[in-house]
Amino acid sequence: MSRRSGTILAAAALALGLAGAARAETVRVTAAYYSDKTGPYFEQMAKEFHAANPGIDIKIEVVNWDNLLQKLQTDISGGTNSDISIIGTRWLLDFVKDGQAEPLDGYMDSAFKGRFIGAFLAPGQIGGKTYGLPIAASARAMYYNKDLLAKAGISAPPATWEELAADAAKLKAQGIAAFGLQGKAIETDVYWYYALWTYGGDVVKDGKAAFASDAGVKALTMYKSLIDKGYTEDGPTNYTREDLQNLFKQGRVAMMITAPFLINQIEKEAPKLNYGIAPVPKETRNATYAVTDSVVLFKNSKVKKAAWKFLDFLFTKDPRVAFTKGEGFLPTTKAEAADPYFAQNARLQTFVNLLPNAHFAPTVTGWEDTAKAVSDAVQSVYLGKDQPAPALKHAAELADQALGK
Amino acid sequence: MRRALLPWLLVLPSLTLALAVILYPFWEIVRLSASDVSRFGQVRGFAGVGNFARVLADPIFLAALLRTLEWTAAVVGGTVLISTGVALVLVQDFWGRGIARTLVLLPWSISLSMAAIVWLWAFDGDHGMVNATLSQLGLLGRNVQWMARADTAFPIEIGVGILVSIPFTTTILLGGLTSIPGDIYEAASIDGATRAQAFRHLTLPLLRSFINIAVVLNVIYVFNSFPIIWVMTKGGPDNSTHILVTYLYELAFYLGRPGPAAAVSLVMLAIVFGFTVLYVRMQRERSA
Repeated sequence: MSRRSGTILAAAALALGLAGAARAETVRVTAAYYSDKTGPYFEQMAKEFHAANPGIDIKIEVVNWDNLLQKLQTDISGGTNSDISIIGTRWLLDFVKDGQAEPLDGYMDSAFKGRFIGAFLAPGQIGGKTYGLPIAASARAMYYNKDLLAKAGISAPPATWEELAADAAKLKAQGIAAFGLQGKAIETDVYWYYALWTYGGDVVKDGKAAFASDAGVKALTMYKSLIDKGYTEDGPTNYTREDLQNLFKQGRVAMMITAPFLINQIEKEAPKLNYGIAPVPKETRNATYAVTDSVVLFKNSKVKKAAWKFLDFLFTKDPRVAFTKGEGFLPTTKAEAADPYFAQNARLQTFVNLLPNAHFAPTVTGWEDTAKAVSDAVQSVYLGKDQPAPALKHAAELADQALGK
Repeated sequence: MRRALLPWLLVLPSLTLALAVILYPFWEIVRLSASDVSRFGQVRGFAGVGNFARVLADPIFLAALLRTLEWTAAVVGGTVLISTGVALVLVQDFWGRGIARTLVLLPWSISLSMAAIVWLWAFDGDHGMVNATLSQLGLLGRNVQWMARADTAFPIEIGVGILVSIPFTTTILLGGLTSIPGDIYEAASIDGATRAQAFRHLTLPLLRSFINIAVVLNVIYVFNSFPIIWVMTKGGPDNSTHILVTYLYELAFYLGRPGPAAAVSLVMLAIVFGFTVLYVRMQRERSA
């Protein structure tokens, strides 16, 4: 008897459990892998959120950046995509054009909008509607190795490209590779845009390629001359951004331009490195590149309300501070910027101070094609296969075929 | 009548399955290649031959096509040449032959991407064991950035391609060699044939059908081989190491243009099909 009632109880419990599971909504989240902290961070957030909202389960999936777009493409065309995903903001337009991304304005009130630092919210807006929320933001600045510079008798980092060349000559005399120049893989184009912008040039203007200008030719000629004079690492077309960062951590290149997250990497992998951070050297004006990654809600999601609730939670102060601190990005909301960790961090402030001069990747179709055309062009110049002016002109023709189409 | 129908009925299920597996993707590719397709596979409209025209007019495509032929010829040629030698050695009876055979076949179990990554590290400009070895031997004044230029990167990729194709090819040829009866060599040597003559007039003709299989299968694999080049140089710098598959992948998944990418894959299919037809015809002429 008692055994039987036990069975019934167990069956009832099971049935209840099943019913409970059926009522709980599951929100699937695709997160990009920023570092080994990304997965644990999102799992932790999912747990905290679930504790406060027992009716909603959050399922996290972390995907490598290299495969992220491809995975989303495949998932979306198969209809098996998650509800929320982190994406590169430069992809947003394609998602919006195909009607994959849900406009978020209906979910946001002005208080929610007010949480963000305005400049970072803008890239996620297309045609007056907000489709992406800035989950990660970074800018670029020049890291320099104080010990190496001191060895060559240089007391302050170069503020202009001319000074950089002069300093590089001294560093070269000491057998030190002065300026790390990226020439391989993703962002090869961006590494050259740094110079382009400081020469007063633009990548895209009025929807057309504008980089093949005088400023562009001068900037590329300057980079090429750095290579020819032996002021860069040997064989730039073999170095990705990560390769250069590794060289810098090992103290084998004196200067390089990259994002704030290198600070965290250095702290972990090369804590003794004596380095500083300075603005990108300028020619006629200061400039930097700012990037945001966006989180989007997919239109085909069946649990939009629950998904939005989770987003709302992610953009409150504590989750933001934990994320931005862990990954080494720049704050995107006002509350986290006010946190002492950021407000009193001199290194991060260098980046923050550059933001007024920041160029964002424009949200136009064909940006990837432009990036590819420019990367190919600058590589051909670095390799000595082509001259700056014709190479850029050809790239501009290719870019114009894709821009805005 | 009934008798004629029965075998067809029996193979019908597997035939249907095979056709579904082959025809459906083929149809999809044909459809995509003639459509204006968004990054996410949404068909926006009919493009006619526009995708093909666009691809065929792309100088990167033409360069990649030529390079694919170079790549295939070099890798398959090198593989068959070396594998024949290796197989001839391994068929001899010597002490430790079992171990030697295992060692030759072992790399087969390593995935292509892993092998490519290992070689990429070996040829790393700063920490690679190739540079380290060469400079220790005093052959190198300063580090060479092997992967920075196509002149060095592409031959290295061909070399890796050959290395990873050897186990499979050796296996085929070894099978062929073992199937040649030993007594014909005995007979030949009694008739005064030298070893070179025996190789030319006995081994090679008897091995020919195996070599043919090895060539055809390798041509198909190597022509479509993606990991080595993608891992080592991603088709760069400046598109100078692209072969058709890597070009296709970049087109589809980096630039988000499934339509033109489908067109490229149809062109590739046509080329491989051409190889196969050529091969079948050669076989027929020879046996006739």
